[in-house]
This record gives sequence, C-alpha cells and structure tokens, in this order.
Amino acid sequence: MTGNRLPERPGEVIDRGTSLAFTWNGQGYTGYQGDTIASALAASGVEVFARSMKYKRRRGIMTADHWDPNLFVQVGDEPNVRAGSRCLVAGMEVSAQNVWPSLKFDVGAVNQMVGRFLTSGFYYKTFMRPKWFWHNVYQKVLRKFAPGGRIFWESSTHGAYDKRYAHPDVLVAGGGPAGMGAAIAAAEAGASVMLVEHEPELGGHLRWGDAADLAALAELTSAVEAHPGIEVVIDSTVTGRYDHNWMAVVQRSHEIAPERLIKARAASLVVAPGLIERPYVFAGNDTPGVMLSGAVRRLINLWAVKPGTRAVVLSANPEGDAAIADLEAAGVEIVAALDARAGEDIVEVEGRGRVDKVVLGDGRTVSADLVVIGIGWTAPTSLLNMAGDRPVYDPSAARYFPNQLPDGVLATGGITGNGTTDELVAHGRATGSLAASRALRSRHDRRVLAARARNPEGPKPEFLQDTRTPLARVPHPECYRSSTHGMVDLSEDVSSKDLVQASKEGFDSIELMKRYTTVTMGPSQGKLETVNASAVLAEARNMDMVDIGTTVWRPPYAPISLGALAGRIFEPIRRSALQDWHEAHGASPLLAGQWVRPDHYGDPVGEARNVRQNVGIIDVTPLGKLDLRGPDVTKLLELVYVNKWQKLDIGRVRYGTMVAEDGVVSDDGVTGRLGENHYLMTTTSSGAGAVWEMLEDYLQTYRPEWDVHVTAVTGGLTSINVAGPKCRELLLRLVEGVDLSPEAFPYFHVRRGSVAGVADCIIWRIGFTGELSYELHVPSGHALHVWESLLANGEDLGVRPFGVESQRILRLEKGHYIVGQDTDGLTKAPSAGLGGLVKLDKPDTLGLPELKAAYARTDLPMLVAIQPDDPQVVPMEAAQIVDGDSNRILGRITSSRMSPTLGRSVCLGQVDPSLAAAGTKVTILLIDGRRVTGTVQEHHAHVDPEGVRQNA
Amino acid sequence: MIVVNCPNCGPRNSSDLRPCGELTPRPDPSTASLSEWRTYLYLRENPAGWVTETWYCRNGCRRYFTIQRNTATNEIRDSEAP
Amino acid sequence: MPDFKSPIAHGPVSAPDGVVRVEDETATAKIVVRAGSDSSAAADLSVPFGQSRLRADGTLVCGTRPDEWTLFAAVDRAAEVAASVDTEGFVSVVDITHGRAMMRVSGPKATAVLAKVCNIDLADDMTPDGAVFSGSVANVTCDLLRSDRAGDPSYLISCERSFGNYLFAALVDASTEFGAGLPAGLSIH
Repeated sequence: MTGNRLPERPGEVIDRGTSLAFTWNGQGYTGYQGDTIASALAASGVEVFARSMKYKRRRGIMTADHWDPNLFVQVGDEPNVRAGSRCLVAGMEVSAQNVWPSLKFDVGAVNQMVGRFLTSGFYYKTFMRPKWFWHNVYQKVLRKFAPGGRIFWESSTHGAYDKRYAHPDVLVAGGGPAGMGAAIAAAEAGASVMLVEHEPELGGHLRWGDAADLAALAELTSAVEAHPGIEVVIDSTVTGRYDHNWMAVVQRSHEIAPERLIKARAASLVVAPGLIERPYVFAGNDTPGVMLSGAVRRLINLWAVKPGTRAVVLSANPEGDAAIADLEAAGVEIVAALDARAGEDIVEVEGRGRVDKVVLGDGRTVSADLVVIGIGWTAPTSLLNMAGDRPVYDPSAARYFPNQLPDGVLATGGITGNGTTDELVAHGRATGSLAASRALRSRHDRRVLAARARNPEGPKPEFLQDTRTPLARVPHPECYRSSTHGMVDLSEDVSSKDLVQASKEGFDSIELMKRYTTVTMGPSQGKLETVNASAVLAEARNMDMVDIGTTVWRPPYAPISLGALAGRIFEPIRRSALQDWHEAHGASPLLAGQWVRPDHYGDPVGEARNVRQNVGIIDVTPLGKLDLRGPDVTKLLELVYVNKWQKLDIGRVRYGTMVAEDGVVSDDGVTGRLGENHYLMTTTSSGAGAVWEMLEDYLQTYRPEWDVHVTAVTGGLTSINVAGPKCRELLLRLVEGVDLSPEAFPYFHVRRGSVAGVADCIIWRIGFTGELSYELHVPSGHALHVWESLLANGEDLGVRPFGVESQRILRLEKGHYIVGQDTDGLTKAPSAGLGGLVKLDKPDTLGLPELKAAYARTDLPMLVAIQPDDPQVVPMEAAQIVDGDSNRILGRITSSRMSPTLGRSVCLGQVDPSLAAAGTKVTILLIDGRRVTGTVQEHHAHVDPEGVRQNA
Repeated sequence: MIVVNCPNCGPRNSSDLRPCGELTPRPDPSTASLSEWRTYLYLRENPAGWVTETWYCRNGCRRYFTIQRNTATNEIRDSEAP
Repeated sequence: MPDFKSPIAHGPVSAPDGVVRVEDETATAKIVVRAGSDSSAAADLSVPFGQSRLRADGTLVCGTRPDEWTLFAAVDRAAEVAASVDTEGFVSVVDITHGRAMMRVSGPKATAVLAKVCNIDLADDMTPDGAVFSGSVANVTCDLLRSDRAGDPSYLISCERSFGNYLFAALVDASTEFGAGLPAGLSIH
C-alpha cells in the first residue's frame, strides 16, 4: 500500500490524532477523523473506486466531492453512498458496487470491446426482439450488470428517517463567502436565517484556498457562529424550491437519522451555490488519474493527500493555475503546464487503471500518472430555474447567468459573476440585506393576517429596490471538447460520439437528446455534464450555444433517498374507548379507514347466532355523530336528506339517505330529535368527515342565514349496540330513568337516561341487525364501565360481544345495504331501492334535478337480494352477473355471506333492470370460471322481511 | 405547496385546506333545467389566469372562503381584488 | 359515577434533563361555546379568535375559531362552567369533555418537538404565549394553545378523542430526539 499522505497542510481538516479503521472490499484500511471515504482510500493508494455503468470501465476520483460520478460505494447495508463527501466513520465496511464478480476483474468490461453496439438509444434498440427473450434472458442478465448498490430491505439497520418544519425569514442555499456574507447581513437586519451548506463545513472554495482565503474563512465563520439569528445546517442540500418559497432541505448524517428532510417555508431565498467545475471532453478523459483542478486542490489542502507523482495540467483560469502551485507544494512533478487560454490542449490520455501517457495538442506524448483539468465552470442555477428563471448563456464568460427572478428569490456569489473574496462577501452582504428587508415586510404582513400572532410594532418596512452592484463577468475561454471524442456523462457512460450520433438520428434538440441517450439523467443530475452536452450538440449542429439551450433543471438538485422523502410515517390510528378491552379479549383487529375495530372475537358465526338467539353487544363508536343545534336544523335536514323531516317529534328517530348534487347515494344514517332545537345525526363511519364538511359548506356558503351549530361528537360518545331478543331484559337491569317497555319506547324512538350509573346516555331503538336492539351512546370517559356492566349483568342471558364481521352477516340477512359497498360512485337513488323514501316534491334538496331525472329513467341498475340456487355456494363479492353463457355483464354481487340463520348463502347485488323482478333467474360467474344460477328475491331482507323481530 | 391566505387564520400551507374549485353558484334546483344543473355540476371556465376559488380551512377555522388565484403563477389575492 | 378514563394509558414522559415533557391532560372539562360576535355571550367571554385569557374563576377561555370559544376548567367543573355561559340569543354550549383528548408538551425543547410534527410557524412573534390556533399535528387536526410555564414554552394540544393514544405516541416519538424514551407498548406504527 502506497502512503500518499502529505505532511501537515495549513487548512487540513483531518485530525491526525484520531485514526479510524475501516474496510474496503474486505481489506483493512485506516484513515483520520475528518477524512471522507474517498480521501482515506486515496491516502492509502487506492486508485480505482468503481466500474462505470455501461462499459464497466475502471473509474477513479474525478471531483472528490458530492458530485463525483465515480465514487458511489456500498457502506454496510447502505447502497449508493457518495464516497467523495461521506465522512469516514470507524468500522465502516465499504465496498465497490456495480462490479461483478469483482472490482479488479469485471465480466462486463467486455462491453468496452463491443461498445459500438451499445451506443445511443441502445436500450430502445437492442433488447426488443424476440419478445420472449426479454423475460427469460435479457432481464436476468441485465440485472447482474445493473448499476447501483445492494438493498437490504429486510435487515436494514440504518434507522428511521426524520422530518421537521422550519420557517426562516431568509434561507441561504450555499455557505461559501457570498452565502455566509448574505446570512450575516440578513441576520444583522433582524431576519431569522437558515444557512444551508452542502459540504460538512462552511466556507466553499475558501476551505482549500491559500492563507488569505483561510484567514477570510476564519473571520466569516466566527461572525456566523456568533450570530444567534443564524441556524447553520451543514452537510445538507436544498434539493428543491417550490411555489411560494417552499423548500426541501435534505440534512445528511444527522445524529438521530441517516437523513432528515427539512420542509422550510422561507420568505426570501438566497441562492449562493458557487460554481461547479466542469470536466473536459477528450479521449480517455474518464481514466483514473484524470481529475479536475478542484479535486486535486481539495485532496492536497483538505486531506493532505498527494494525488499523483507526475502531472499534466490544462488550465484556463486562475483556479487551474492555483492547482499547479498546490501540486508543486505537494511535491508533484509538473510534466507539462498547458495554458488553454493560449490554445494549448490535451488530445488523449492512455492507460488502464491509471493515466500512463498523455498526448498533447502539439503532438508530443508525455509520460504522467495525473492529468489535472481546470477548463471552466458550470453555474448550478437549478434553484433559480425552479423559481421560474431561464438563465442565459454568455459566450464571453463561457457560462450561464441568472436572468429574471421573482422578488422572493435572490442570487449571489459565483453564479452571478466573479470577484475577489472581499467582492464576493460584499455582494453576499448586499444580497442578504435585500433579502432580509423583503422577508421582514412579509413577516409584518403575516403578523397582521394571522389571528394568533402578536401585532407588529411599527410600520411595514419599505420595499427596497435592487441596487446591488453586480459582480463582474470575467472573460473565460469556451473549452468544452478537444479534437477527440470522450465521455460527456460519466454517470451514464454517454460519450460525445453518442451525442453526435443521436443528433444525426434526429434527436437534435437538447431535451430529446437527453431522453434518447440518458445524458444528464444519472446521479450527477447534469451538474457536470449538461453544459458539455449542449456544447457537443451545438458543435454537431453548427449552432451557437445560446440557441441550443439546456435541459430544464427540476427538483431534486441532488438525488434524495426515498427514506428521506418518506420521513417519519404519520398514519393516525383511531381507537374507541373500548379498543383496549377488545384487544385484551381476543378481538381480531380490522383496520377500517383510520379506525381499528374488532372484526370478531374468534367465532363470527357463533357471535352472529348468539345475537339472533340471546343478546350481543357491539362497539359501533366509529359511526359518525354530529350534534346539531338551532332553530333551523329541520331545514338543514330537509336539504341534505332525500326524505322529509318536518314532522319529526321530540323523542323520535328517523332513517335518512343522502345523495350528492349529482344524485348519487353518498351516505346514510339515522337522526334523532333530542329536544326542541337539538338533534343527533349519525353517518356512516367512513363518511363522517365528509358529511360534516358538507353540512358546514351548505350552512356557510348557501344558507348563511340559517341558525344551526354543528359539533362533531363521534369520539365523545361511545356507541354500543345491544341487540337480540333478550336485550330488553338485559337493559332493564342497568337503565334508569327510561321506561323500556315496547309501548313507552317503540322502534325508532330515542330517550335519554342513565346506564349502569352513567348519566346522560342517549338510547335509541334502531335495527341494523334486524333484531330488537337499542343503541347506547355513552360519554366515552365512562364507556368501559358501561360495556363491562353489560357483560357482567347479562351472563345468565348469554350476552356476548360481537364484531364487525358478525354485524355484516346479520345486516345482510336483514338486507340492509352499506353505502360504498352495495352502492358505488354511479349509484343513483332509485338504484339503491330507496323507492318511496325519496321525496321529489320538496322545493330544495341536494341533487333534486338529478333525482327527478333518475326517477324518470327505466334503464338504471337495481339493488336486489339474490339467493344462489345451490345454498352452499357463496359467490365472491364483486362476482359478475352475466347473460347466460355469454360474457355480457348484467350486474354484480355486492355482498355475500353464508347465513347462519337460514343455513344458506345470501347476497345483495346490482342487476340490470330486466333482471330485477322477484323470481328472476340470474347467472353468476364465479371466480373459478364456473357459472351458477341464483334467484332474485322479493325483498332485500332474507330474514324477517316483516320486521317482527326488530319491532318486538 | 402553495400558501393560501385564510381570511381568519392568516397564511397557511395549502395542505391545511381543501380546494373546492372555481366558485360556481348553485342554481335554484326547483327551476333549473337538467342542462343548467349539469353545467353547475361539471363545467368550469378553467382559465390560465385569475380565477375565483372556494377553499375550506380544514385544519384551521373550518370556514369556507373565496380567494382569487392565478392558475398560471399561483399568485393569490383577495376575492375582492379587481 | 365511575371514574373518568382517558384514552391515553401513559403517564408523563420526560427527557432525563427535562428539556421536554409530554403529559396527558385529557381529564379537563372542555366546553365549546358557539355564539355570534354581537351576542352577550361573546361580550362576556371577551376573547378574540386566536387568543386566550385566564378568567378569575380559573377557567381558561380560548378563542378557538371565529364565533367559537373553548373553555377549559377542572374536570369536575364541566356542568358549572357550561351553566356560566350567557345563552341569550342563538348560542350553543356543548360539553366536549369526553370528545377530546388533550396533552401538553412543555420544556425548553417543546417548540422544536412540535416543529417536527406541525407545519405552523411557532416563532415567538407569530405564536406568542397565549396564542390559540389549529393545525395538523402528526396528520391529526388539533386545537392548540401556547401556554408557557415558568418561562419555557408549553403547548396544550387537543384532538378528537379517538386519536388521543396515537397523538401522544407521535409527540413522544418526536421527543426522542431530545432524549425522551418511548415507553413500552407505545408506538406510532
């Protein structure tokens, strides 16, 4: 192993006192605290980190940062870790990914030899025929070659991801000199600031700069740290800017989560990402040992790693020149220092696994193991594009510049121009002040508008015009491609030759070319390759760069793990006051919407039978319950139910169906009148929220003159249905203050009284199960006591709890339909068999014109009860009803169960009106393909159609 | 995620509200023809530009209110604005 | 009358250094009053929407929504507090003591905890002590009141009763970043 670690460097970020042991492809290595995975490996002499995606070419360090396309590694069970930016941690198990069977010997490297078959659009061309070959061969083989790491989705150990919200006045994206200046000035102006830096430390390019840079960095850092109004978020990326400055910030390596998504709403966004160094296109430009000038400066100055021994440097700017100085200081021999400004060039690099020979523009071939490229910069304007900007190319400076930005978005630093550190900081400060003044105006408005906020002191700050002196645009030569062809997109293995070919094939707009060749679509997301791709296309089409444009930069700025997007999973679960009891007594849980409910207690059929024979109790708390008060409740009920409500006396309960304005059945339930101006409405469990919102809608926007107050009381009243022939006997033992005799308390009536000593219970007689039954609505804080009292006092009567499944059996025996199961989004009122319930002579009710139209039709399907002629056959719900032996669909089974009471199968179904008459034979197509016959029944109720039991 | 100014609560994330679409007056159901009624149910102007919309402040004050929104830019202003 | 039972089966959960504490306060009388702004009830309650005040009799009066107030008091005072409201005109008084779960998050890190599960700007000037507001907390619609204790931020959060156990778990889960431990049997999933 070669030791490439240099003597101490002035700005180094490693702690030589803390060694960290880790493994690379199973071998032991050490690095220092402060190293990235890549710097630690480079210090130990590792040169090849990965194989490329398509051609499996050996790849080494290129940018030595987050954007490096060649440094994706597997760390333990975490795939696709960016070794260029991920800090080394002791004990890491790092391995190369994208290799099969190993990094040294990769079978796929043969693709290099057949490269001409893998050119542009090869996915679209190659794996198409024969069709069966795709599934059997191509897919399996391609899987082996697929890029990316391994996912251990069953045994992942890297923990839950996290999320939080933030509301900074000013969010600064980028912690270089301009961004830090902006943050300081904004905070000084009284704004709250979130300063987000991509790297593990603030400073941007100052970090790997000279002594003056380091001094400036120290000063800026202490000013930032000293200000309590600045929250610094490092090792984090602003990945997206959405409407009204809604920002997604991904925070990496947080102590409590591998990644955390910060959802930030900022009044002002300052975009200060600096510039990203651009690779150069020439033959062999992806050979390990070809690095950008920033990479060698980072390796030398941050981690004290010597990047090579003999270097050829191609420079077009001061940063490239500075790399020469750094290389010399690190003891690297400069074989050739080529000045691109003077037309000097590199034509080709040769070498397998490492640069060996370099062919220069003047025809000379020199021997070197390092090629350093400093030929230009890409302005990562992504966040500006996401704010609607369309940056414009300036050929004199060889990069894109911001164009038009909304008031809440400001740009500063390298993406706007060039400057000395002082100039960058000054521009940043001016930008920060401006951003703060605009943000504080917005804050003033928000404090005035928000009812909860403290009223602002003083007047609204004035709107300041943008009077900043722009940074200069220093001329820069346009260097994109040498005289040879090379890789443009190293993530996706797309070469300039591929792009030229795509252009020839007609994919000659940049957006089409991108999709055809996949250029810019890899993990670098265009940061390194977009402008080169445009340049190659411009050259191929003999056009100006300005006219070629770029692909649209959309979120994310940098790829995000799916875990970060998922964050914490918040899936609220609703539990009745009795759910703990149910679970302690063997209830099988049923997730119904947000509610967890007892499906059954082990024997749904037995539970149902017990209701018919003795008495059962069921927790029906999820029923929506709305307390309605006011003199105009009757008018509201008339409006929202299809039936009439004017003559509902106090103490009475009525069933009602609701339809939407399109005449489709939307909900149903019962409403009882508790007092002169006081009603309790129940809705379906799933419809509770929607009905509440609908009532408020009509009360607020349609009939604001009506006096009605709606209060949701679903969870406050625990609802217990006591059903079965012996239920009255049971309740006589527990109810006080209510005469339970059938004469004094008939069917569809409501009373208030105490149950088991709990006052203020509402009791009504209804019959979803078809049995004599009372529904108790008990204040939830006392519900468990009532439930346990019912069970304790009815042992001799055979009382047992029953669950949702038993209730479904019982209601189907009785023929009660369930909205949403037996009806659907097209079921108009007449189809549900509502018959005379619907009153069309009301002046106003929801969907009235549609109801009238529906009742005039004869072609609507009808809900009917069906019994299969073979009593043992229970057709699956949703089984189709067909026309004889044909496949013409005439309806479907909507509900089906084996009826324990009748000892046969029973169904509800929607059928074509031609099949709706009692006695009609229908053909039911079972899921196994068999066809069975069934008979349409006279009534929906299979059991007790006369209602003798429930009226007892 | 846009910000919608609830007239009661102040600015809120749109996820706290339910968009109810273009403001569409409900015709008198006792006199409306079926075609007028279906226009009310289904037909909207859907301009690229300013539109008056109803929103429901689901997680806040539970009030329905109207605002104007520019569908091209998501700019939002009071329903009384010109 | 049997004891009042809360849907939250857990006692207070605190970080060891006390930077955050989550506790159940469901056993509180909660009376919701609906009245027009020109009613004498509104004049008596004299709290605008978004704000709160502590009445001399110990009742906390919150302006929960426009023309809507929630009154909090000791759990055995529900009837008394409900009866104290002037019902002249179109006024509704509904006892929702059993219908709402209520919990408190308090301590120096309470705001940071809430910011993990609630999108409302909780800065001191946007949501000062005494502020009343509603919003989504861990995907549950809640009514919130900032009522600071001993100089530290503190939030009273109430939600539909059936969400109580989940919401408590979600708040404790959010507090784990600051050292609170998740009690056995409590999980947001």
